[in-house]
Amino acid sequence: MSAAAHALALHRLGKRYGAVAAVDDVSLGVERGEFLTLLGPSGSGKTTILMMIAGFTEPSSGAVRLDGRDITGLPPERRDFGMVFQGYALFPHLTVAENIAFPLRVRGLGRAAREAKVRGALDLVQLAGLAERRPAQLSGGQQQRVALARALVFDPNLLLLDEPLSALDKKLRAELQEELRALHRRIGRTFVNVTHDQEEALSLSDKVAILNHGRLIQIGQPAALYERPATRFVAGFLGTSNFLAGAVMDVAEGGFTLALGATRLVQEGAPPGARALLSLRPEKIALLAPGERATNEVAGHIAGWLYLGAGYALQVATADCGEVRVTLPAWRAPIAPATGLPVRLGWPADAAVVVAEDADAP
Amino acid sequence: MTGGYAPGRFVRLLAWATLLYLLLPITIILPVSLTDQRFLSLPAERLSLQHYASLIASPAWRGAIWQSFWIALASTALAVLAGTLCALGCWRLSRRSTEVVRALMLLPLIIPSIVYAIGLYRYFGRLDLLDRFLGVVLAHGVTGIPYVVITVSTALAAFDARLEQAARGMGASLSQTLRWVILPRIAPGILSGAIFAFIHSWDELVLVLFIASRQVFTLPRKIWDGINENLDPAMAAVAVLLIGLTLVLLLADLALRRARDG
Repeated sequence: MSAAAHALALHRLGKRYGAVAAVDDVSLGVERGEFLTLLGPSGSGKTTILMMIAGFTEPSSGAVRLDGRDITGLPPERRDFGMVFQGYALFPHLTVAENIAFPLRVRGLGRAAREAKVRGALDLVQLAGLAERRPAQLSGGQQQRVALARALVFDPNLLLLDEPLSALDKKLRAELQEELRALHRRIGRTFVNVTHDQEEALSLSDKVAILNHGRLIQIGQPAALYERPATRFVAGFLGTSNFLAGAVMDVAEGGFTLALGATRLVQEGAPPGARALLSLRPEKIALLAPGERATNEVAGHIAGWLYLGAGYALQVATADCGEVRVTLPAWRAPIAPATGLPVRLGWPADAAVVVAEDADAP
Repeated sequence: MTGGYAPGRFVRLLAWATLLYLLLPITIILPVSLTDQRFLSLPAERLSLQHYASLIASPAWRGAIWQSFWIALASTALAVLAGTLCALGCWRLSRRSTEVVRALMLLPLIIPSIVYAIGLYRYFGRLDLLDRFLGVVLAHGVTGIPYVVITVSTALAAFDARLEQAARGMGASLSQTLRWVILPRIAPGILSGAIFAFIHSWDELVLVLFIASRQVFTLPRKIWDGINENLDPAMAAVAVLLIGLTLVLLLADLALRRARDG
């Protein structure tokens, strides 16, 4: 964390377009030097929130605060936020160096000071040799780096990223994710990122806010969200999940039994009521060898399977739990997957988590 | 061009016929301007440049050319300024009412210029602008606005609005954004509009017939009078020069578009 990092808070932020609430009563905080990602499907309101933070969209209700100071009414040009736009929005008529110098020129910096800062920014994103090129002569990854350098060169209060990696192919995206993460550690500023890519959110962020239908569903550290999703939507949007719904029986200290047809599942935690919904990750289910026992056992047969290189994804048809998705490593796999092959699935009482059904969309 | 169907014989013939129909009346001027006779005719015995020479020697023709040139230049400046500001304003506000404004700006193109000229004549009389340089510049400048509004609006439609957002997000004021981002991006459109506005003034006759008489005597007016009074072949020479200049400007516009799109 550096001294230049700032804390951002959204207080009951809302944006209505006629009768439609694009953003509905969202409150959240970003600590100094933190990397927050707003994650959600398209139409979840994540970009609208970012535009309200940047000042391009005026909130219908609520407030944006920077270090406790209300900046809701401040125009974007007076917020001093760096921003990487979707598609980068580089100025096509200016060279790379002129693009990066733009925010400095706007601030009336002298030529010498400008050149030194531009050099520093180019070094930061490893583009030193390309200063005189035009954006059209650069690859997508290089353009993304120029946009990043331009957003950081004037020591902004905050760096906002609007789907910064979405235009890149998969391999480049992974590379730039690592670079972005390293850059954040090195300069220690507060970053707010928007994406619909759950992998990007998990790997980049200190904290992820999950949005759906304009509402904040859950916010927390990536691992906490993945391991303890609060609702069905979060469990299904972050990674993949099996959902098991049943009647609650035999509530005991620290656990309960869930009945699905004739199948009884033992589950840790407290039941929410007479019925419960479990989220069970495919990688937490084991294939049981003959004679092997597990707390929860379900028999079925393979209805379909995919080879993914590193592993297999199996669809196992069961009598009471429907189709259960299971992943297992391909290296020394215990079985050779084949359609119709009978298998027994097993998992411990702490493998699944109790999640809530989502409230209906407004 | 690869793929597609080659045009049939009939279509090819039609295309060439249309082209000839468009070009022949213009090209006939060229041999006429080189005639060795003393009246408007085709060359009888040999080609001669005498009418070009008399054109350049004549103070009346030279004066008309210069006057036309300065009027075209000044009215182009006026049209570019007003048209660009109008297109920018409509683009930024971009409401239903601005659509109406944009449509109104095209009126000088739609209304017959003789109607326009009658109106101008009445008002200019009261304002003491008849037969004045300023009067003709105003008339040509205002009727040149539609060309600039059209080309600048087209350039703005292709302008990525996120560039403006990006500039503002980096702290640029409205005037900085305008000077450093928007104007450089739409400059080809402005220049294109300027070329059309210039050509418009350069060959405009109807308005000039109404609002100018002796003091202001443009080139088209001189040609008009020349045709009415005597059939001097110098007019053909003037016509060739006019066509030449228009052609150069159109080619410049073409090159401009190619540079922008390429």
